[in-house]
Formats: sequence, C-alpha cells, structure tokens
Amino acid sequence: MNVKKQFTEGLLTKNPVTVQLLGMCSTLAITTSLFNGLGMGLSVTIILICSNVMISALRKVIPSQIRIAAYIVIIAGFVTIVDLLLQAFLPALSQSLGVFIPLIVVNCIILGRAEAFASKNTVGASALDGLFQGIGYTVALVVMCVIRELLGSGTFGGGLLNGGLGYQIIPDPYPAMKLVMPVGGFLTLGMVIAFSQWLMARLERNAKKKEAAK
Amino acid sequence: MNGKQTAKYVIRLGVTLFLITAIVAAALACVNSITAPRIAAETERKTQEAIEKVLPGGGKALEPGSYDDQGGLVTQVYASDTGYAVKVAPSGFDGTITMMVGVGLDGKVLGISIISHTETAGLGAVAASDTPDGESFRQQFKGLSGTLSVKKDGGTVDQLSGATVTSRGVTRGVNAALACVAGLG
Repeated sequence: MNVKKQFTEGLLTKNPVTVQLLGMCSTLAITTSLFNGLGMGLSVTIILICSNVMISALRKVIPSQIRIAAYIVIIAGFVTIVDLLLQAFLPALSQSLGVFIPLIVVNCIILGRAEAFASKNTVGASALDGLFQGIGYTVALVVMCVIRELLGSGTFGGGLLNGGLGYQIIPDPYPAMKLVMPVGGFLTLGMVIAFSQWLMARLERNAKKKEAAK
Repeated sequence: MNGKQTAKYVIRLGVTLFLITAIVAAALACVNSITAPRIAAETERKTQEAIEKVLPGGGKALEPGSYDDQGGLVTQVYASDTGYAVKVAPSGFDGTITMMVGVGLDGKVLGISIISHTETAGLGAVAASDTPDGESFRQQFKGLSGTLSVKKDGGTVDQLSGATVTSRGVTRGVNAALACVAGLG
C-alpha cells in the first residue's frame, strides 16, 4: 500500500475530473456555488469509499461474468441511501443538487474505480483510493465553483456563508452571468484542466532537473 | 464444461446476483423506514409554509375533481373564507416549478410562493430567491387578475433579466390558478 502515491494520484496526476475526465455531467452542471460543490463532492466521496470497500470485500465472491451488474446494484444502493438521507436531513442541499444525486449511480468515477481499483486491491487500499479520488473530485469541483460563482454571480460562499446569501465581492451589475450557465461550465473546466496540465508538466520538469543535478 | 456443469454455473451466477440484490434491497428498506416520515413531514411543512405565505390563516384542501385542473397544471386547491391557495406545477426552463398562488374571493392574486424548482442558479433561480430582485418579481403579481403575460410577449409582467422562460413559466402557473378559481365561481 502506497499512501503517498495514491494521494498524489487522486489529487493531481490521476485526478478524476482533470485527468481521467470522469463524471463530467455533474461537474459541469452543479458547480455554480460553493455549497453545491462541497455537498456534491462529499456525497460522491462517501459513496465512493463505501462502494470501493464493499466491492473490494466481495471481489473474490462476485464471478467476473456478472461483476458489472453486481457493482451497479451495490453503487445504486449506496447512492439511494445517501439520497434519502439528504432529503430527510439536509433538504436544502437535496433541493439544490436535484437530480444529480440520483445520477451519481451512473457517474463513471464510481464504476471506474470499482473496475480499475477496488476489484483488484485489498479493502484498506480501496478505502484509501475512494477517499483520495473523492478528495480529488471535491477539490476540482470546489475550484470550479469558486471561479464560476465569483465571476458569474459576484459572490463567494453562496448557500453556505452569511446566512446562505454568500458575500458579494463583485457588485451587482458587473458579474458575467454567462459563467453560471452551461457555456461557462465548459470554459471553466477547460481552464482548470489546462492549469492542472501545466502544473503537472512543471512538477515533472523540476523532478527531472533534480535528478540531473544529482 | 459439460451441460450439467454449465447449468450449475449459470445457477450460481443467478443466485449470487440475487443475494446481492436482496441484501441491498433490505438495507434500503431499513433506511427508507427511517427517512420516509421525515421526508413526508418536510414536504408537508414546506407546503403549509407556502400556503401561509399566500393565504394567511391557511385553508382546507378541496377534493380532487371538484375543480378544473387546467390541463394538469393545478395539483391542489386549498380554500378558506378569504380566498384560495392554488398549488400549480408549470414547467420552467429546466423541469417543473412547484408553486403556491393565493387568489382572493375577488379573483385577484394575493401573492405567490415558489415551493421547489430546478432553474438555473443566478438566473431563473432568482424567481424563488430571497434577494430583492426575487421579492419584487413575486410581489408584482399581487392584485393582478385575468390572463397575464410577460412584457416580452406584450403583457404586463416584468420578466427577470436572462430568465424569460422561467418568468413565462411562473406567469403560466398564475394564469392557471386564476382560471381555476374563476371556474370555482
């Protein structure tokens, strides 16, 4: 088990959003306020950890011919549980995320990690993988939320801070409303991906330089 | 593998999948039994809150079928001595807008309150928000009657900037409520 490697992979080099490009639908749709981003990120992280653990624990029991069907049932079960709990205990978040919570069932991050990682690794490693991939997803969402919310609505922390209104940073007529619309989602996602590529290239170059200096 | 073994294997696959599904179903049933009453209470609370906003004092639900549902737009009508609260579900820009429209005995709008919606944040969602723009958008319906339309369509309702479709949806809901109450006499 290599905790540090798993961590960098989840956060940067194999980030589910910016590198694997999984779960794009929810990424583009809900990243309009900090509240949404954190809520969605946490929901996915919890479901990812649970499903990774369960699938890893059952990896020797589930015959490979029916593994996809079995994974989907397990994932759908966890998603529905989270959906029901949110509706009952956090109705505001459930209202705001709407259909994207049930749609986590078909979010490729969950099935992707089940197939690529949990079905081949131990329960502990799979739990960590779920946690780090979930954190990577959450960080990417939050970055997009902050950019889109600030430039699109002019606020920070909407739905969460200052009694749900958020703090108005850019005064009313100036924010570029297009950014909270779908087109703004694509633009922001492109920029975030470009930035993460630049960052990775830079880190790699630095690592090579260090090696050469030795 | 001979026929007998294949049959055995297929049965094993089926039984495994069945067991997983059964366990998941049982877990869901447990969670549902805890959350269902809370979700129902939450929905009820929201509805009552919305009725109270548009028809102070609340009202009694009318029997479905005792009113004209305007082609399915009207989902519930509550009546009191001072007027009606009509629950309508017009479609907005993105999905259904569930809202409560208060209509006085004189056939004029007492007020509107949006219960749930999935409109775009920052645009259509303003119609339901507590911001000054949202408040004034909802307030303008007060005292109106007849068949309304937004300014863009030559009417009197000031549409929200960048959210004409949402504004049209809300207006359609108000019209349905007004027509429904007019039909009640």
